[in-house]
Amino acid sequence: MFLKDHRELEALRSGLMTGPAPTRRLWVCGGPGCLASGAAQIQAALASEIKKQGLNSQIDFRADLTGCLGLCEKGPLVGVEPEGFLLEKVSLADCQELVSKTLGQGRPIERLLSGHQPIKNHPFYQPQIRQITRRFGQINPESLLDYLKTGGYQALGLALSALSPDQVCQMVERSGLRGRGGGGFPAGRKWSSCRLAPGTVKYVLANGDEGDPGAFMNRSLMEGDPLAIIEGMTLGAYAVGANKGFIYVRHEYPLSVERLNRAIEAAEKMGLLGKGILGSSFSFNLEIVLGGGAFVCGESTALMASIEGREGQPRVKYVRSTQRGLWEAPTLLQNVETWANVPLIVEHGHEWFKSQGTSANPGTKVFCLVGQVKRSGLVEMPLGTTIGSLVFEVGGGSPPGRSFKAVQIGGPSGGCLPESALDLPLDFDNLSSAGAIMGSGGLIVMDNLSCMVDVARYFTGFLMGESCGKCSPCREGLTLIYRILEGLCQGQGRPGDTLELKKLASLLSKTALCGLGQSAANPLLSTLRYFEEEYLEHENERFCRSGRCQGLFWPKIDPDLCSGCGLCQEACPAKVIFGEKKQARQIDLANCLSCGACLAVCPFGAAQAVRQDS
Amino acid sequence: MDHTLPKVTGTIDGHEFEVCHGTTLLEAAKTLGIKIPTLCHHPGLPPDGNCRLCLVETGDKLLASCAFPIRASGGVYLTHSPLVFEARAFVLKLLLSRAPNNKELLKLAEEYGAQADPRLSDDPDGCLRCARCVRACQAAGSQAIALIGRGRGRKVAGPFFEPPLDCVGCLACARSCPTGLIACGEEPRVIWGRQFDLVKCPQCGRTVGTPEELKRAGITSWLCPDCRRREYSQALKNLPEASFVRN
Repeated sequence: MFLKDHRELEALRSGLMTGPAPTRRLWVCGGPGCLASGAAQIQAALASEIKKQGLNSQIDFRADLTGCLGLCEKGPLVGVEPEGFLLEKVSLADCQELVSKTLGQGRPIERLLSGHQPIKNHPFYQPQIRQITRRFGQINPESLLDYLKTGGYQALGLALSALSPDQVCQMVERSGLRGRGGGGFPAGRKWSSCRLAPGTVKYVLANGDEGDPGAFMNRSLMEGDPLAIIEGMTLGAYAVGANKGFIYVRHEYPLSVERLNRAIEAAEKMGLLGKGILGSSFSFNLEIVLGGGAFVCGESTALMASIEGREGQPRVKYVRSTQRGLWEAPTLLQNVETWANVPLIVEHGHEWFKSQGTSANPGTKVFCLVGQVKRSGLVEMPLGTTIGSLVFEVGGGSPPGRSFKAVQIGGPSGGCLPESALDLPLDFDNLSSAGAIMGSGGLIVMDNLSCMVDVARYFTGFLMGESCGKCSPCREGLTLIYRILEGLCQGQGRPGDTLELKKLASLLSKTALCGLGQSAANPLLSTLRYFEEEYLEHENERFCRSGRCQGLFWPKIDPDLCSGCGLCQEACPAKVIFGEKKQARQIDLANCLSCGACLAVCPFGAAQAVRQDS
Repeated sequence: MDHTLPKVTGTIDGHEFEVCHGTTLLEAAKTLGIKIPTLCHHPGLPPDGNCRLCLVETGDKLLASCAFPIRASGGVYLTHSPLVFEARAFVLKLLLSRAPNNKELLKLAEEYGAQADPRLSDDPDGCLRCARCVRACQAAGSQAIALIGRGRGRKVAGPFFEPPLDCVGCLACARSCPTGLIACGEEPRVIWGRQFDLVKCPQCGRTVGTPEELKRAGITSWLCPDCRRREYSQALKNLPEASFVRN
């Protein structure tokens, strides 16, 4: 069906809304975690089971894949509508019962339920405000009709029929939306600058080159609601006067690419992309470009170089991309999550958008909560939520026997914030003044077994491997920093290393050419700022209090805390832990490897790291 | 200088300057006689700003002066502040680890009190990764060589580290290299593991270039520039007086 104007769009939508709704639906989570643990097979099994049991012949029952349901740790997840149950760790063996009992009769399967039902009362979901991720669990991301039914393309219909490009631009500017890719640059300022830039050829780009370790929010969005990104970009193109757009997606995300491609195709067929959209004079075409797996291509100028077919490396950026970007034309580049916010702003108005979050940081943000927390997954919260509420309310705090130490925010070039920062509101400004960055919104929670020097070493090593090598500070300087950190972690630190690291980190951030190099010292700078004593212990005493750096500690079992469960004994690769059942264990240090395996498994915090000379 | 462009003003180390809009900070400094050390900069090539030696302070930020176009008046730039000094010493220390015997680098290192760090002493191949060779190749019209690989493993080479098929043997890369590191021979013409024929001027016998190089430049005559000029003026001389039109 080809929509000739916005009236036809609205007619189609109201037809869909009033049409017969499926009596009950099973939503199989199609997020990356659940798919990896077999969600697609479960969906297929459910569909064939529905046929087999003949449910569909009587009333409309369905089991579809949907976007990420969030509680990744408990996957594969299946949501039940309209009851609002969430079934956890579903396996193929559960499918028959799921169809007959849950789908047929609306009764959940007790063994797959957590204690909190319906799911909106679950502590993981209760504090969340799901705005960007609202369609996850409500639509099949491959269905344009599902998208329309949930309010999709309302914003574009409104813009093309009643708003001038300038008005759309002003709405975004007034909404105070800030770029979700990391820097938090005011989106409206970019839009106006691109709109006013001279030139007849302009481009809009979406950055979907998510490359942070432990981050999957962009991926979840591209896989869970691809049309929201496309609609946002169409609005952006209309506002700035572009007729061509590109979505840059890393090739390691094949499902994102597939869903985006399908969404583009479907939108083209309906006349929501292409020539004369909804009967207007506005034309817009969208193309997907695959990234080759270089982290630096998430940097704006490197991304554009990559789209142009050149080597993906940054250029000196003294002229903004909104003036001279892709192929030297004015270019509006935003992260995919920023784009997904745009239809909401145009549809509901800037005042509505500002009602979430704080005045300088309006709206919500999707976070990936991972690491040492009880509940990890995809979380959406208003900006300005405190770090503590995310880690402890949503995430449930550290696992048993461990204590919270730090949270690493913003991806590899983010920073590690200590316990004292738990009351800090999560927004662009507060994070950067605390020495971290919002980045794309990854939060890695760490506990007392995470060594901060080792964490800095890890992230510096990641960035060293991803440095394009164009400018000397990043190319050579990161290597030097990495080697010093490696030395500290191996007990080969030299006097003055900590001081030198401080100096090198500050110089690197001031002298590097692009954002990657300038922020590459953040993990080091932030851990030095909050955990300097750990550096000094590594340097002067060859001691790692976290029991992470092999050879820099001895494990010791506190007999008062040890329950005698024997987990450490099982885990010990050198077999030097001994003791009777239900008695406190002991360690034969003469043959101990100082590997920390016992520390990692102890659920009571009885295995601890002590100085080797004590 | 394009005199239609508006002028911008500012100060460098306290001295006022006035230059055309878009002039780089490095050029502006030159008009005041202020010297800023450079390595990757080459006046005939587009700026790249990769070596970071020409950093200059403004506000509390550092700018690569070779690539920074001055587009607004009122800028206050410092080329010899403590921060600039420290930053250049840092850059030199890092580059020294790659080219520990480079005379120009050693001279600068002495000036800035920089020393190579022994922890970076592996792979001192002498190359600064300034990409002047790569940019010269591009500017001359080929893309035969590139910086291959990432991070510290980055190296100048032809595709797949093989003799580059697109090379025309013009030696622009070798001539623009600040360290003289690119091995080549003028006659016979050898570079990047390839040997090229040479075109000799049929009149004076001088070397004009390689056939591939002339083809790339769209030159069909094999005369050397001097002989071509002579032939052209000879032709002018033989024209009848009437064909010269005075305006």
